[in-house]
Amino acid sequence: MSNTTSSTENSMLKITDLHASVEEKNILKGLNLDVKPGEVHAIMGPNGAGKSTTGYVLSGREGYTVEQGSALLDGVEILDLEAEDRARAGLFLAFQYPVEIPGVSNLEFLKSSVDAQREARGEEAYTSAEFLKVAKEACKQVNLPLAFLKRGVNEGFSGGEKKRNELMQMILLKPKLCILDETDSGLDIDAMQVVANGVNSQRSPDRSFIIVTHYQRLLDYIKPDFVHVLSDGKIVKSGDASLAKELEAEGYSWIHNEPADELEGDLL
Amino acid sequence: MSLWLEKAIARANSTSDWLSPIREASLTALKETSWPTRKTEAWKYTSLKSVERASLSTGDLSEQETPEEIAGFESLNLIFRNGKFDTEGMQQALPEGLSITYLSSASDALKQASLNEVSQIKPERHLFGLVNDVLVEDVIRIEVAESVSISQPIRITSLIGLNSESHTRVYVKLNKASSLTVSEHYQGNAESLNTGFVEYEICAEAKLEHYRFALQTDKAISIGGCHFKLGERADLNSTLVGFGSDLSRVDTDIIYDGEFANAKLNAFYLLDGKELFDLHATVEHAVPNCTTLENVRGIVADHAKAVFNGRIHIHRDAQKTLAELNNRNLLLSDKAEINTKPELEIYADDVRCAHGATVAEIDKHALYYLESRGISRSKAQVMLNFGFINELIDQMPNQVLAEWIRPQIRDRFAKMEVTR
Amino acid sequence: MTEQIDKALEREYEAGFVSDIESETFEPGLNEDIIRRISSMKNEPEWMLEWRLKAFRVWQEMEEPDWAHINYSKIDFQAISYYSAPKSMKDKPKSLDEVDPELIRTYEKLGIPLIEQQMLAGIAVDAVFDSVSVVTTFREKLEEAGVIFCPISDAVHRFPDLVKKYLGSVVPTKDNYFAALNCAVFTDGSFVYIPKGTRCPMELSTYFRINELNTGQFERTLIIADEGSHVSYLEGCTAPQRDENQLHAAVVELVALDKAEIKYSTVQNWYPGDENGKGGIYNFVTKRGICHESAKISWTQVETGSAVTWKYPSCILKGDNSVGEFYSVALTRGAQQADTGTKMIHLGKNTKSTIISKGISAGKSNNSYRGLVRMNPGAQGARNFTQCDSLLIGDQCGAHTFPYVESRNPSAIVEHEATTSKVSDEQMFLCRQRGIEPEKAVSMIVNGFCKEVFKELPMEFAVEAGKLLEISLEGSVG
Ligand SMILES: Nc1ncnc2c1ncn2[C@@H]1O[C@H](COP(=O)(O)OP(=O)(O)O)[C@@H](O)[C@H]1O
Ligand SMILES: [Mg+2]
Repeated sequence: MSNTTSSTENSMLKITDLHASVEEKNILKGLNLDVKPGEVHAIMGPNGAGKSTTGYVLSGREGYTVEQGSALLDGVEILDLEAEDRARAGLFLAFQYPVEIPGVSNLEFLKSSVDAQREARGEEAYTSAEFLKVAKEACKQVNLPLAFLKRGVNEGFSGGEKKRNELMQMILLKPKLCILDETDSGLDIDAMQVVANGVNSQRSPDRSFIIVTHYQRLLDYIKPDFVHVLSDGKIVKSGDASLAKELEAEGYSWIHNEPADELEGDLL
Repeated sequence: MSLWLEKAIARANSTSDWLSPIREASLTALKETSWPTRKTEAWKYTSLKSVERASLSTGDLSEQETPEEIAGFESLNLIFRNGKFDTEGMQQALPEGLSITYLSSASDALKQASLNEVSQIKPERHLFGLVNDVLVEDVIRIEVAESVSISQPIRITSLIGLNSESHTRVYVKLNKASSLTVSEHYQGNAESLNTGFVEYEICAEAKLEHYRFALQTDKAISIGGCHFKLGERADLNSTLVGFGSDLSRVDTDIIYDGEFANAKLNAFYLLDGKELFDLHATVEHAVPNCTTLENVRGIVADHAKAVFNGRIHIHRDAQKTLAELNNRNLLLSDKAEINTKPELEIYADDVRCAHGATVAEIDKHALYYLESRGISRSKAQVMLNFGFINELIDQMPNQVLAEWIRPQIRDRFAKMEVTR
Repeated sequence: MTEQIDKALEREYEAGFVSDIESETFEPGLNEDIIRRISSMKNEPEWMLEWRLKAFRVWQEMEEPDWAHINYSKIDFQAISYYSAPKSMKDKPKSLDEVDPELIRTYEKLGIPLIEQQMLAGIAVDAVFDSVSVVTTFREKLEEAGVIFCPISDAVHRFPDLVKKYLGSVVPTKDNYFAALNCAVFTDGSFVYIPKGTRCPMELSTYFRINELNTGQFERTLIIADEGSHVSYLEGCTAPQRDENQLHAAVVELVALDKAEIKYSTVQNWYPGDENGKGGIYNFVTKRGICHESAKISWTQVETGSAVTWKYPSCILKGDNSVGEFYSVALTRGAQQADTGTKMIHLGKNTKSTIISKGISAGKSNNSYRGLVRMNPGAQGARNFTQCDSLLIGDQCGAHTFPYVESRNPSAIVEHEATTSKVSDEQMFLCRQRGIEPEKAVSMIVNGFCKEVFKELPMEFAVEAGKLLEISLEGSVG
């Protein structure tokens, strides 16, 4: 695809004044974010800031209520869509804690997902043989032994294997927007490099990434275009890659309404 | 109807007293109950022949008979001799907030209140519970006032003489946010029959630490139960130890009446000779958010027989229940027998339940490990078998009772022969 | 979410049609005369009639069992017709050409072509319609290998010695109420004999169809695997959608002689009744096999139909080193009730048994596993492993486990595990986030739950079972 004007002017994801709650507790309190095609945005921030919630709200998890605001994925409002339709529209979430589905083979699960994508894009479903080939390729790319295709989805996988399995799904599904929720947490340096390589290999002018992470480390390998700090349900600071380095050095204590500060305020 | 039951009914206490309404109701129920056979699910593996044969009387037992000393166990002692409550012994001073009442001598108000409480927790289906209702002379009521913690444990001992029968009944009420420890002791080996039932009402936020030592052996037939009702956030920690006799049967019932309550039930039995021990443990999850952990273990040697029926019933509304039951058994001889049935009956979908039962010889890997450290095979077997029970002794919250029962278990175990 | 899951499980009962076939049907009622008439319809020898009458007298003395976790309106045994056969079957068609085309069409509609050219190669079919066997395919080919596969009513004539020796040898007449009834009134079913050392060259299967209103089906199957032989047998069943309950009380006996192996698979899809419990088949079945030395019997069942299921395919592990297996998926929904499981009776040394039971309850249904594992004193070194898992869908259903474990041998090892789970919100969300529709996600998760059992089914049946629970791509990774 050539560099059309649409890919620079239009947003891949445009979140405007998003408010959302879980169990009647307000978590997102006016979130704004604009991600252009091909960009990589990193979101950092203290625990409990609402980073995972952002991913869940965008992907349509049950139990999360949108109070107000909008989220356009490639110009389409996704907040009223069913979870599976958002996925078919090209939104992908790599989970912080991938769930196990015993007995359902990874391959069957992957094929069902990819078939759904291809159907949404008006493409023919793969035959089993074709798909097996593609899946084996993806498996190699994330450094998982082929036996993982036969095993139950995440069943008995180690933490690192689960994360690589998420990445493999991302590679197979070819989404427009990928949200990676702490995919680097709990990984050793080699595994992290596999994740970084996986992401870098998928970077393209028509695919965007939101990378939620606590660590500067990952951002050494995946160079973000922007870094945002999310705190108490809002973006409180944005900058370029250097912001991540600052955060690594200083932490989040400078954020005004950080919970620890509130507590201090009470004590005074 | 069996002859035994007819005789029991005929002997029912006919004096009119405060207990009459309960007695009458149970009499009516008894008359409609048929005597259990092998086809009666609750008695499928346990024959009542020895009960049918028993011809006993309610004689007096000498006051000389006293409970065995438990070194270091500073308890308040309640003693039954052949079912008669030792009121003399009850002259001891009670801690503030604790009352122990012999209900026939209680105020009319308390009698009236007790009428609505006694026999409410013990499920009606227990045949011998009904028999106990009919034959018992009186009921002891133990009550802890709201928010009072009684640190001194209460020990209830039931003593029985040769050719005697004994029927005892205790009702225990822990009012809101109170706490108490109760240890029930059944002992003796003379030809006899006793039924002993204790009901525990554990109100909201109250905490009961409970022990039942069903240690009657040989010819002493013992049939009884402990029944617990738990209010909101109530907590029960119960340990049951069973030796077998001609017939030894315990029914435990845990009924959740308030949310966020917890119960932990550990039970273990060691059976030798021709002993029989039968434990029926039922848990009724009638409300949401309660947790049950049950751990039942047994060792069965010689010609002995163990029966375990563990039933967990999760009612329609009892969402978010967590219930686990584990039953492990070792058979030491090819004439011994174990029958176990861990049942689940579930009517709510958002629950976590797991049941496990094993009957096995001892872990070969563990055996090998010990042998590789130079321990002889026979010694290693003893160590492992004992270790299997010892784990539960270690979990007893009361260390004094643990150290009292441990050597008895060890002795009993040492006498058991491994014949396979 | 429960709504979506319910939708996923909802499916039309596709086998619910009625075939327009003129039948000869006995008037309802049960007495010695009826039994004589059944026997004479089948032209039976005197000994067979005597056997039936004896069973009838035994049955009359027995009481209907009430220990199962099921509730159903009392069966009026006098309101049932005990024999119904298509008129066209009266003068025994010699070949398929003579069989009423409507009958053949019925089986075609059910996906069971009876014309050999159209059939799946490698499966021989005995098609039983109400009280008679319509046709048994590939008989000649099987006979070349020495395998006997014929309706049991034929076997009574052709192989009386085998029938006399083994009929009732595994499930005695007195065994239980429904077995005794079956002994008295059984009509047709399959008979299989595999000679010594023979590996049956094809899968054998029987397809049972109830068509006539108010008739009971009382089939009887007897499979004898002689020493060192091997056979895989499949069984399927359907019935029209009717408002009245119909009774199906079958008896299946398996005899696995030394070193023989029998694999018996069932996909039970009798009409389950409607959502409110109106109509449907009462399925009271006794299935049992006996294993001689080093023999193996493996039961696999997928139970999705019937209003009431009462069924405990069992193994008597008599011979040393014999093996029994039970793999079961039972799905209940609507107002269905299932009380099913197995008995593994270990008599011989080093006998082994495995029980894998997967119960799925949805709607207002109740699904119970009931099992017995018994280690007799002689079962030196015997082993059992039992895994019972329940999946509850919705909060109006019930899932129950009643496992009886009896051990009288110290060297025997029994392990029983039971768990309960539900289709979790997290699992559903993961699937949906990957673009999979909720219905598909549920059937995938449910199929995953059943996987250990499905992988035991013969290929052709796995497909049928899969259609019932919508399975795909299973086992396609090499
Ligand atoms: N299901 C839930 N119920 C109640 N509170 C929740 C739930 N999920 C998340 N929260 C709360 O929302 C806040 C944000 O959580 P999360 O998005 O997971 O934070 P982060 O990923 O930034 O660490 C936290 O305070 C958390 O406790
Ligand atoms: Mg998070």
